[in-house]
Amino acid sequence: MRVHVVEDDAGVSDSLALILRNIGHDVVSHRDAESLFKGPVPEAGDTVIVDLSLPGIPGAQLVRWLLNLAAPPRVVVITGQSQGFIDHQLRGLMPDGVMRKPLDVDAIARVLPHA
Amino acid sequence: MKDFASPPASLPTSPETAPHPPTVSEARLLSVLDTAADGIIVIDEHARILIFNKACERMFGISAAEAVGQNVKLVMPTEYARQHDAYVGSYIRTGVKKIIGIGREVQGRHADGTVFPLELSVGEAATPDGRQFIGILRDLRPRKESEQRLADLQSELVHLARVSAIDEMGAAIAHELNQPLTALMLYLQAIRRAHSRGVDIVTVVGDILDKAAGEAERAGHIIQRMRQFVEKRDPERHARALDPLIDEAIDLTLLGQRHRIRIEREAGQNLPPVSVDPVQVQQIVVNLVRNAIEAAAGAPDPAIRIRTLASDGSVRLEVQDNGPGIAPEALPKLFEAFASSKRRGMGLGLAISRTIAQNHGGDLLVDPGGNGRGACFTLVLPAAPVPDEVG
Ligand SMILES: Nc1ncnc2c1ncn2[C@@H]1O[C@H](COP(=O)(O)OP(=O)(O)OP(=O)(O)O)[C@@H](O)[C@H]1O
Ligand SMILES: [Mg+2]
Repeated sequence: MRVHVVEDDAGVSDSLALILRNIGHDVVSHRDAESLFKGPVPEAGDTVIVDLSLPGIPGAQLVRWLLNLAAPPRVVVITGQSQGFIDHQLRGLMPDGVMRKPLDVDAIARVLPHA
Repeated sequence: MKDFASPPASLPTSPETAPHPPTVSEARLLSVLDTAADGIIVIDEHARILIFNKACERMFGISAAEAVGQNVKLVMPTEYARQHDAYVGSYIRTGVKKIIGIGREVQGRHADGTVFPLELSVGEAATPDGRQFIGILRDLRPRKESEQRLADLQSELVHLARVSAIDEMGAAIAHELNQPLTALMLYLQAIRRAHSRGVDIVTVVGDILDKAAGEAERAGHIIQRMRQFVEKRDPERHARALDPLIDEAIDLTLLGQRHRIRIEREAGQNLPPVSVDPVQVQQIVVNLVRNAIEAAAGAPDPAIRIRTLASDGSVRLEVQDNGPGIAPEALPKLFEAFASSKRRGMGLGLAISRTIAQNHGGDLLVDPGGNGRGACFTLVLPAAPVPDEVG
C-alpha cells in the first residue's frame, strides 16, 4: 500500500519512512502540505499520515481537504501537542486515526491496514 | 421632561423616550451599546442625557428611563457637577478642550451616594441637531484593588516569571522532545524488526544507529538548555562574546513557538566581549524575542531582525519586529511590572529585562515605532575591560 507522510521534522519523517518500508509499504514523504499538493492526489487505497503542526498550511486544513475528496484516502493524524490543542485543531473532523508522539511501531501498525 | 429636545437624527435615543419607535438600525445600535462592558453616555450641548446604556444602569444604580433627559450631573458628585456645566459651556464658546479626546480619571456617584473612581474618555460628534458628546466610562475600583494585591506579591515575582515563561513553553517543549524520541524509537524498532526476521541489515545498520544517536543527543540538548534557564543561581560575571549567547537564546525561544516567523540575524564584526551572567542575558533575549514574535504575529509576513553592533565602549543588541509598534498609551508604563496588553501576559518580561540590564551597568531602551513601523528594543551592555596585554 502507498503511504504518504506529511511531516516537517526531518528525523521523524526519515525514521517513519524507514519503519513503514520495513513493514512493506510504499512511502512518499512530504515536508509540508504544499509539497503534497504538487504531486498526484492521494487515492482511495492510500493512507496519508499528517503531522498537525506543519509550517505553512496547517495540518488540520490538509486533513479537511483530504477527507473532502470524492474518494478520500485513509487519513491518520500524528502529533506531539496537548489534547486541548488536538481537540481544538480537529473540531468537526473525523480522521481515521490519531496517534500521539512519541510513536512506536505497534501504534502505527494498529492504525494502518495490513500491508 | 417638558423641554426635552427632539432626538438627533444620527444617534438613536433609548426606546423608552424616543418619540417614534426605533428603526431597525437604531434598535440594533442600542442593543450593541447595551452589550458593551463599558458604560456609555451620550449627552447633548446642554449636558442632557440622550443615551444611558445597560452598563451605566449597573454602574450608577439608575435606570435608563430615569436618566434619559436629565442633566448628566445626575451621576457626578456635587463638586464635579458644579464644574461640569462650566466646562461644557466654556468648550462650546471657546473650543478649548479640557477633556475631549483625553482619557482621565474622574469621580462618579452611585444612586446610593457612593463616590467611586472612573476612567472617562469623551468623544464629540457633530449632528444635525447640534453637538453631542459621547462618554465612555470604566469603573476603576476592581482594577485598583487588583493593582494593590499584585503589588504585594511583587517581591516573589522575579523567579516566578522565569518559571512562568517555562510553564507557558512547557507544552511546546514536550512537543519538541517528542520529535527526537519518536525518531529514536522508530530507528531502533526498525533495526529490531529486521534483526528478528533475519533480514541482512549489515550495510545500513551503522547509518541507522548514527541517526538514532543523533536524535538522542538532540533530546539531551533540549533538556540541557531548559535546565540552564530555570535553575536559580548566584549572579556571575564572565567575559563572553555576546553573539553565541544570543544565538542559543534565539534557538531556545523558537522551541516554544508555533508561529512561522522569519528571523534576520546580523552579527557585528569584531565585537568586544561583555562581562555578564550568561543565563540572565539570555533571559533578556528570550523576553525580547518572544515579545517581538508575538507582536509580529499579525503581520502579513512576520519577521524580526536581531543584530549586534559595537558603539563606543559598549555592545548593543537590537531586536526589531514588523508588528504594529507600541501603543502610545502603553509607553509610559512599558517597563513597569504588570503592564501587559496580552490576555495571558504577566507584564513582567520587560520589567525584569531592564533590571537585569541595569544590574550589568547597561540599559534597555525602546524605539516604540508605530505608523507602520514595529518596535525596536536595544540592550546596551558595557564592553568588558580589556585585560593588560601580556609580555
Ligand atoms: N515588540 C513589541 N511590540 C509591541 N508591543 C510590545 C512589544 N514588546 C512589548 N510590548 C508591549 O509591552 C507590554 C509589556 O511587555 P512585557 O514583556 O513586559 O509583558 P508581556 O509580554 O505582556 O507578558 P510576559 O510577562 O509574559 O512577558 C506587552 O503586553 C505589549 O503590550
Ligand atoms: Mg513579554
